[in-house]
Parts: sequence; structure tokens; C-alpha cells
Amino acid sequence: MPRVPADQYVSQVRKPEDIDRYWDDVLAETAQIPLDPEVVYDPLRSTAHIDVYEVFYTSLDHVRIAGWYAVPRQREGRLPGLLQVPGYNMEPPVPKNWAARGYAAFSAAPRGKLRSNRQFNPGYPGLLTYGMVDRNTYSYRGFYMDACRAVDFLLGRDEVNGDRIGVTGHSQGGGLTISTAALRPEIKAAAAGAPYLCGYMDSIELTDAYPYQEIADYLRMYPDSRQQVEDTLAYFDGINLAHRITCPIIISVGLQDSTCPPETGFATFNAIASDDKKIYAYDGHGHDANNHEHAAVVDAFMAAHLKE
Amino acid sequence: MTTQTAAKPHDFDTYWHDVLAELARFPTAPEVQELPLRSTDFATAYGVRLTSLGPYRLYGYLSIPTGDGPFPARYHLPRYGSVTDLVPQGQANGQRREHVTFAICVRGQRLADQPYAAAFPGQLTDGIDDPATYVYRGIVADCVRGLQYLAARPEVDANRIAAIGNDLALTTAALGPQVTHLVSTPTLLYATSELAPRTSAYPLEEINDYLRLHPTRRDAVHNTLSHFDLRWFGSRVSATTLLMAGADGSALDAAALQPLIDDIRGETTVHKAEHSGYRDGRYAEEWLSQRFGMAEPSLPPHWQD
Repeated sequence: MPRVPADQYVSQVRKPEDIDRYWDDVLAETAQIPLDPEVVYDPLRSTAHIDVYEVFYTSLDHVRIAGWYAVPRQREGRLPGLLQVPGYNMEPPVPKNWAARGYAAFSAAPRGKLRSNRQFNPGYPGLLTYGMVDRNTYSYRGFYMDACRAVDFLLGRDEVNGDRIGVTGHSQGGGLTISTAALRPEIKAAAAGAPYLCGYMDSIELTDAYPYQEIADYLRMYPDSRQQVEDTLAYFDGINLAHRITCPIIISVGLQDSTCPPETGFATFNAIASDDKKIYAYDGHGHDANNHEHAAVVDAFMAAHLKE
Repeated sequence: MTTQTAAKPHDFDTYWHDVLAELARFPTAPEVQELPLRSTDFATAYGVRLTSLGPYRLYGYLSIPTGDGPFPARYHLPRYGSVTDLVPQGQANGQRREHVTFAICVRGQRLADQPYAAAFPGQLTDGIDDPATYVYRGIVADCVRGLQYLAARPEVDANRIAAIGNDLALTTAALGPQVTHLVSTPTLLYATSELAPRTSAYPLEEINDYLRLHPTRRDAVHNTLSHFDLRWFGSRVSATTLLMAGADGSALDAAALQPLIDDIRGETTVHKAEHSGYRDGRYAEEWLSQRFGMAEPSLPPHWQD
């Protein structure tokens, strides 16, 4: 049977009535924990034009989180802040490329990533299904907060203009862009590429590729847990968080993406509350979502909203 | 762009002969454990522990189709980073229906990070002052050891073993005669000393970072990297080869790779990247399925017509 065009797909995800209260409670619980940032200059990664620091801060459950912070050496006034969030099985990059363009750039390594895995390390595969039968134990409860706390780090820096903070990422980074923009109103611009963590349950029907296949593996082994899994994931689904996004946002999808099906990107886009939103759908592209050309779109978008 | 300024180290062949001889002294000693969570009705998954140079204990994900073999095999070599997947992200899990698949976690990666846990960034320059201490000496050997294990499995068709990946797929095919088919995308180990200064993008930026902090070590670093340069491995590759080149004008486009292309002894196809994971990935899947004599390529749903 031919597939429904991605932009006409109807998600099966159902939104919990208490989703906003759930996340407001998690945010409040997180806010009670001192950030306790530690900033360590890294001479190996720094250059003549960019200072690089290793950063550590405390997040939900008192888990210590790492990140890379890069700032241009020569600057006038306060800089726009840019939070970069990582893909599922990639290491967070040192964001020197964003610093070179005039941003105070922070690249977060949420729990389980290298350098943030001493207290929590479910591995890959593993992270996507860890604690998935309970919204209060699910891995992404803390993972989402780790990205949100990076916003607190940027807000605490003297060189950062707290009124001009953006977030961007691809794949899981795209999903974290959605969740962070939804949960932190300080975000003023968001660019999500091929977003993951949107339409979790839809995706296991739309593709047989990993990482979503991890959920299919789990349900094959524990079929009686299906309802609990659906109930939990509904609280974390980007489609269900999108109504909280009010900042300017762009999303890119590849129409032949087998990793993060484009159907879920459209469903997320349609649910975003912001009037200032645009989706770039690239035919002939997979999970790259035409990043080769779209990177310039993201650059221009961030500059327009954070610099001008 | 051509990159023919460097020369093959005089001790290149001796170096790799010695590495393989040292590897041969360590028994593979496999431990195989079924992974019910990753097994399906069409394939059974296993976690495999095995010994490489050092000795160092590695990990691999093995999947064997249900039914009677022998089956063609896909040997997935790791990309640069801490994670190796059972099946590379985005590829069809359905490839496990008709292929034995094996994905190796080399030293420093998750599941093979005891006692050595690599840093990323960091691994690319670990021990780089000397070819004898460079971490890639062990990593290249790890990949060969994984191949030796895979090729010895009774379920594997010895006439259809593909090494698939980036640089490590090519070094494995060069050092492991069991590889019959090769799909390689040169990424980090081709003319590294010449290409790193032309970029500020990681992972190659790791080389620039290192030399900025340790400028007096430049000659030593370049000497080490020359022992791992794909250009000098080409003449050892006899597998039927698909070389995934960069798009025209990129640092690793077909023109830049020409010295390697010229040296590979097996039938070689060069595919110029189209900046599309879908188009490039589908091309590679169709190429391999044709060479393997399969009825259909293993494509995920969104890649199918």
C-alpha cells in the first residue's frame, strides 16, 4: 500500500491532559537544585580567536552535566547565546564554528553522553527505552532538563545577552530543540533539523531503522507493557510539547528520512503554537535533511533573530 | 585538487606486517551471548567478546538470519565516535533477514572501554607522536580481528563478505584477505597531514589543536599519520570496491582520491557524493545487493519507491 504523503499524515499520539502540570513540576524541581557551574579553560581546544572552556553544572537528580563553551576573544558588548544540542549517538561538538560567527556558544552533553555518564549511563542502544514504563523514571525526564539547564548556564554569563538566546540541533538535537524551546521561554529562536523524539509511537510503525527500533525491540520482549510505554512517551513527545513554543522556529525534514520519519516532523510543525514558524521539506534527502544547504538557512535565521 | 606530496614511509610494509604478526599471537577467545532483546523472528542477535592486540578485549554485535546458510555477510566498521550500533542508524533492520551482520566496537568505544575509554574529541591524537604508540595501531588491528572472527563463522558465505564503513573499512580490506567486497568512504585517514590544516571542522581539527599546542612535534605527527594513510593501503585491496568520494570540489572528491583509486587492485566503482544520505545510501545498497546477487536491496521504508 502506498504511503500517505508526509504532510498529510495524521499522528496517533494523544496528549495527556496534565502534560503542562507535569513539566511545570519537573522544571520547578530542577530549579531547586543549585546550578553550581564550573568553567575550566581548555588551552588545547582554544585558538588565537576563540576561547574554549570545559563546563560542568548540576541538573535534575543532582547529575553533573558537561558541556563545551566557546566564545570569540574579540567582542564588543554582550553576545547572543547559542545552545547546541547533540544527536543520539554522536558526541557533542566543540562549538567553535558558532563562536567564530559571533555567538557565545554552548554545546551540551546531557546525561549518559561521554563526560556526563559517571552517574547515569544506560548506553546506546539503551537510552531510548531506559525507565520507559514510568514518566517519573524515563531517561528523557532528566535528559530534557539537562538541556534546559544549559540555558541557565548561558543566562548566568556576563558576556551573554540573556534576551537573545537561541537553540539548534539535528536529529536528537532537533528533538531537544523542540523540547527546550517549549520548556524555556527565554529561548528566542529555534532551528530543529530532522527532529527525533517526536512521534515516538508513530515512528515504530513508519520505519524499521534504529534508534526507534529500540522501542519495537522492547515491546516485542515486553508486550504487556505497551500501554505503560505509550502513556509515558506521550509526556515526552515533541508533538505534545509543541503547543508551548511561542518563539520563531524553523524545522527541516528530509522526505526520504528513514531515521526520523518526515511524517513526524510535519505533525510536530503543525502543533507548534508560534505564528512565526516555517518548515523546509527537502525531497531527495534522508536524515541529512539537506543540511549541506540548509546550514546557511539556519545561520541566516539565527542572525536575523539574535543579532539584528 | 590532488594530494600527492607525501611519500609512502619506507617501513610501511614492515610496520603492518609486524602488527598482523603480533595480532596473530593473541587467541581470539570468543565469548558469545544471545541478546533476546535484539533478536526477532527473522534473526538472532548475539553479543560477542573477543581479544585483539594488547591483549585487549573487544565487543561486537552479531546477527544471524533464521534458516539455513551460508549467508552473505556485512561487516560494519565503526565511525569516529563512542557508539557502534547493531545496524548503522537509518539503515533497514531488515538487512538482518538475509545477511549475517557484525558490528565491532573497537578499543575506546562503549562496550570496549575497559580499561581504555577514549575521549571524543581526543582519540584522533592519542599517542600520535609515534606509530608504535598511536591508538589507531590497535584500532586497525581490532577491525582485522573482528573480520577474522566473522569469516570463521560457519553461517558466513566466504565468497560474499563485505566490509562497510569509512577509513577502517578500507584498511580492513587491505589487511584482511577475507574481504570480498568493500564499501568505503574515506574520511579521516586520507592525506590527513595535508588536509587537516585546510579545515577547522572536527574531527580533523583535533590534529590542528594538537599541533598548535605542540608545534615541535609536527614532523613526528606527520610521520605517524603517513603509516595510516589510505593511499598506501590501496595496492593491498583486492576486493570488489565501491569508493564513496566527496562531491566535486570537496577535499576528498574523486580527483583527490585518484591515487587511491588507481592503486586498488579489485574492480572499483567510484560514486560521487550527492550530499544526500538517501541518494548516496541507496546507491550503496543497490551496488552491494547487485554484487551479492540478491533479488532486492535492503532498503528502509522511506527509501523504497
